Amino acid sequence: MIRLFLLIALVLGMTACDTPAEQADPADMVIQYMQAKIDGDKDTLAGLLCADLESTLTREAQSFATVDAVLEDATCTSEGDVVTCTGAIVADYGGEDTEFPLTSYRVVQEDGAWKWCGEAG
Amino acid sequence: MQRFQRRFIINNLRGITDKASHVPTKLAKMGYRDKTCLVHKRQKTFKFYSIHLFTLCLMVLVIMGNTPTPTPDPNVVRPYETTAYRRLIVYKGPGETHPQADILNAGIPVTIIERNHTGNWVRVVRKTEDGTVAMDGWVISAFLNQDENMKFSQVPVNRSLPDHIPENIQDGLSIAELYSLPVMPEVSDEMIEIYKRGQFLGNHSNVITKVGDSLSASDKYLTIFAHEDYDLGPYDYLEDTLNYYGASVSGTNVASRIGLSTYVVFDPLWADKELCLPNESPLDCEYRIKQPSVSFILFGPNDVRSMTEVEYGEQMRMIVEATLERGIIPVVFTFSSDPDVELWWQSINFNREIKTIAEEYKIPVINLWVATRLLPDYGLDIDGIHLAHSGYFYLKFSYGDEAFYGVTLQNLLALRMLDEIRKTVGIDINGDPT
Repeated sequence: MIRLFLLIALVLGMTACDTPAEQADPADMVIQYMQAKIDGDKDTLAGLLCADLESTLTREAQSFATVDAVLEDATCTSEGDVVTCTGAIVADYGGEDTEFPLTSYRVVQEDGAWKWCGEAG
Repeated sequence: MQRFQRRFIINNLRGITDKASHVPTKLAKMGYRDKTCLVHKRQKTFKFYSIHLFTLCLMVLVIMGNTPTPTPDPNVVRPYETTAYRRLIVYKGPGETHPQADILNAGIPVTIIERNHTGNWVRVVRKTEDGTVAMDGWVISAFLNQDENMKFSQVPVNRSLPDHIPENIQDGLSIAELYSLPVMPEVSDEMIEIYKRGQFLGNHSNVITKVGDSLSASDKYLTIFAHEDYDLGPYDYLEDTLNYYGASVSGTNVASRIGLSTYVVFDPLWADKELCLPNESPLDCEYRIKQPSVSFILFGPNDVRSMTEVEYGEQMRMIVEATLERGIIPVVFTFSSDPDVELWWQSINFNREIKTIAEEYKIPVINLWVATRLLPDYGLDIDGIHLAHSGYFYLKFSYGDEAFYGVTLQNLLALRMLDEIRKTVGIDINGDPT
């Protein structure tokens, strides 16, 4: 009986450690998405992109392929299906910096996880 | 002639008037101190001058009446005699792949009798004293000494000779394929229809824009068309076109940015957040804001570093289709590259894609790659990516910089292309579509 209880507790504990995205803050997901975009990390982007924008995956992964970019002072807050961010992506090209200010993004829940789904209109 | 006659009369009248006004001083010097006598003498003197003045005026009027004033006939071709300022190879056609015809040494007088379709090569002839043709061939016009009398508007255009003979290329079929593309295209009937559709959609016939990476973002390219100063040198026939489109390229452009690629031009993250709508790409935003009739598109120098020619081709097709959908004529460029760099063959393949796309959609392509082959360092700057710039912040063609600097050549070809489009779609110099 005790062993059974421990097993159940262990399973519940493991489940809790592997927090699904639906329970995570979508604001964190957006920051994760932006970092993957900067890195050109296609696998991560594929997991965070909503179904409607699947066709843009390669484009999203190519966005900063020709420049060196970093995420600076990125802070996001969520409210419903909108995540509003401050900070910027700063790209360096030949010694010249170009700044891309972060804005508000639409997020949706798909397959039990939050997905990035473009800019909020 | 009229101006000369008028100036002659004015000068003579001024001369007599001046002399008359100095008469009292002269009389005083002669010792005439009696006022009555002075008046008398002055009257006599004025009478003397008046008669001469009257006679002279009569003579001038008679001459003016009898002499027909010749008016320059713009249709009459005036051969322009000049010299080269450096030793030149003379070709049998307007391009370096034509067979060599001769050598033209600096200082030897030649007469320009034709120019090519693009406009930057001219056919020159040298005759001996007895009229025998001693030399006949084509050279780059920029290497000839020129003054304000050198006007290409008065030089006939030869459209029959191709820019190049690809069969003469020994560097491989890919290179030969690029040489088969003319530097300056004709405007197809399909593009005339696109223009008309654009007018129906509300596009502005005198507005142009540019789309591309840092080569396009440079304010020395196309943006300087809006500068109030310009010096077209011998390309006088492009002035109406410059004045027609020039002002439209001032101000912000959201679809030409440093680091932009054929993928990124569709990425809303790269759009100007102050001017563009949420989820609007830089390309869509630029076209919505400007509603141009012509879009100059140049991608490649950046893309060649991060994608395959297949991906590049797909993306370029998307850009071309998005442009055509809006009734905008896409003018695409091939891009210059250096055979000594690692990405040389990749850039050749990219440029071949551009050629294929242009043929598929019957859109105009400016073959900048071919046009820059004879320029120092292929018209490229020290980084081997960007085009070299002359340093002038306004259009200046009178120094022949188009034969030395990639940006100057790029501007000349773009302006020449606009001239071709404007005349083909039927826009007159007052800007009224006909």
